[in-house]
Amino acid sequence: MKNSHYDLIVVGTGFASSFFLKKYLAKVNADQKVLVLERGHFYPHAERLKVKRGEQSDFQQYEEPWEQAIQNVNTKKRWPFTTGYGGCSNCWWGCTPRFMPSDFKMKSLFGIGEDWPVDYDDLDPYYDEAETLMSVSGPEETPFPRKGKYPLPAHEFSIVDKILHKTYGNQYISQPTARASRAANGRNRCMTASTCDTCPVNAKFTIENANLGVYEDQRVELVYGAQVYSLEIQNDVVKKVLYVLEGKEYQASAEVIALGANPFFNTNILLNAGDKNPLTGRGFGEQLGMQVLIYLDQMKNVGGSTWVNANGYMLYDGAHRKDFAACLMEVSNAPYYLRMERGKWLNIASFRLLFEDLPLHNNYISNSAANKLVPTVHFTERSEYTMKAIENMKKALPGILSCLPVEKLKYLDPFPNEGHIIGGTRMSKDPKLGVVDQHLIHHQYRNLFVLGAGAFTTFSASNPTLTLSALSLYAADKAF
Amino acid sequence: MKRRKFLLLTGLATGGVLIPTTLYLVSPGIKEYAVLLLEREFKYLKLEPGSVSRYVDDYFAAGGNDMMAKIRWKTMYYLNINWEKSDQIFELMKSFLLSSDFFIHKTDETKVVRYLGLYSPYKSPVPNPFSFLLYPPDEIGEA
Repeated sequence: MKNSHYDLIVVGTGFASSFFLKKYLAKVNADQKVLVLERGHFYPHAERLKVKRGEQSDFQQYEEPWEQAIQNVNTKKRWPFTTGYGGCSNCWWGCTPRFMPSDFKMKSLFGIGEDWPVDYDDLDPYYDEAETLMSVSGPEETPFPRKGKYPLPAHEFSIVDKILHKTYGNQYISQPTARASRAANGRNRCMTASTCDTCPVNAKFTIENANLGVYEDQRVELVYGAQVYSLEIQNDVVKKVLYVLEGKEYQASAEVIALGANPFFNTNILLNAGDKNPLTGRGFGEQLGMQVLIYLDQMKNVGGSTWVNANGYMLYDGAHRKDFAACLMEVSNAPYYLRMERGKWLNIASFRLLFEDLPLHNNYISNSAANKLVPTVHFTERSEYTMKAIENMKKALPGILSCLPVEKLKYLDPFPNEGHIIGGTRMSKDPKLGVVDQHLIHHQYRNLFVLGAGAFTTFSASNPTLTLSALSLYAADKAF
Repeated sequence: MKRRKFLLLTGLATGGVLIPTTLYLVSPGIKEYAVLLLEREFKYLKLEPGSVSRYVDDYFAAGGNDMMAKIRWKTMYYLNINWEKSDQIFELMKSFLLSSDFFIHKTDETKVVRYLGLYSPYKSPVPNPFSFLLYPPDEIGEA
């Protein structure tokens, strides 16, 4: 470390940390000192591509299997994530729909869960900013309120998309995505490879290709290999961050701390620090996703231009959410599902159906006496609210798809993961109902931010990354 | 090892397909059966001579070519199992089509199908067969 004391220490370099820093650095003085502690290392995209091509890379030593980074009690439920510079921007698939306004008001609209202490209008300008920073491609009309055009034009529809859009209007749209529809800002156009975790043509937004200017800023000192595990707290003020680097113990002090690791590690740090909030680590989870294959009669489903080509909102919002969950349709354009009947190879569409779930108390994250660096993940159940939505979907989908020449539908088993780790440090207005406030500041430790999707009060059916990035911009803007 | 467990391990007991003991006890010269399976399934295509064989060599080399896999292909060929009953055959066929110029030629059955190398978005010249790269907007028209 270059300094004995910092104005700000940030833990992690993923979306939550990077967007928080982007706003923070734009607002504070030139003499500020910021320390960023990153658990992993820098593993360049070019080196990841070499490995994907079957070549060796010295950077492979920095790959940390997620299964070894946590203790996952229920091994049937998977929680893939990536550590290292850029965090999960190195493994996300670039889906950036906004939440619906109703997602923030589940209690008052539907009597489900709790309302968020922020609403859609609060986040709207920060959604705009995050979409600009990510150069999001998107349509002119959306089911959520949005002013102006997306930074990049929408991806091209397939013929199936065109029929569904004609039928459902803004309830069926080209997916807003950080997979570029045009070459822009050093990224290439998406070439529909559908292996977006490591994009073959670098079309997907990552922290590495973001040009955010955050980690190059002279005020920022970035330390790799620093595994933060706890905080030193005096009189409800966080004084120091405790971490392990190359097997040795270190401490760093600052005026303000921002935890921007994923919900597993953020929770682990809080619990190791002695956080007694009964909701810390509780009610984490993610959406439930399942695939439906749509066999088409004499129609090739061709012309799509990115992995998830469209989003369908026909089962998302409405009074049904009093009884069962919203469902977001992700319309896949991937080559996984071909047909083998002669002449019908491309006569198939596939939808991934994302169902929101509830923050259930029995799904929780704990720390471990055996290893302070490794959180333990207990995921035991899905809500009836979610399961009931699946049954409803199966009743409603044939009617929704009646505008297409459908031969048959085939439902596949739910996926073991969606790659969205949500909850564990939920936001609330009332300190008794959450861990952090509307600015992502811990209710008890007022110089501590806990960023990321862990702060979501409820889960939504939509992909979380854009919203957590907007929340980081919002929190830094309001606090500094 | 009990027979049922063996069948489960080899993946032959799924989908209601059971394999006679005599077949899985005989082993040599196995990769040819995957070739024969593909040629039987794609008998309506003009397959370039040697293409299927090269593909199968690469496919087995990439995915492992253990004894269980070898036995599986031979038994499936002799029992006349097709892609509808076997996920392994389905995947073998799907991967072959993606690894060839079949989709580049827009599934034109009159053209010779050539193997281009195992399908990989990181190495292969074959684009996503559904995509605008093969079916640009002006070709697919409006709804």
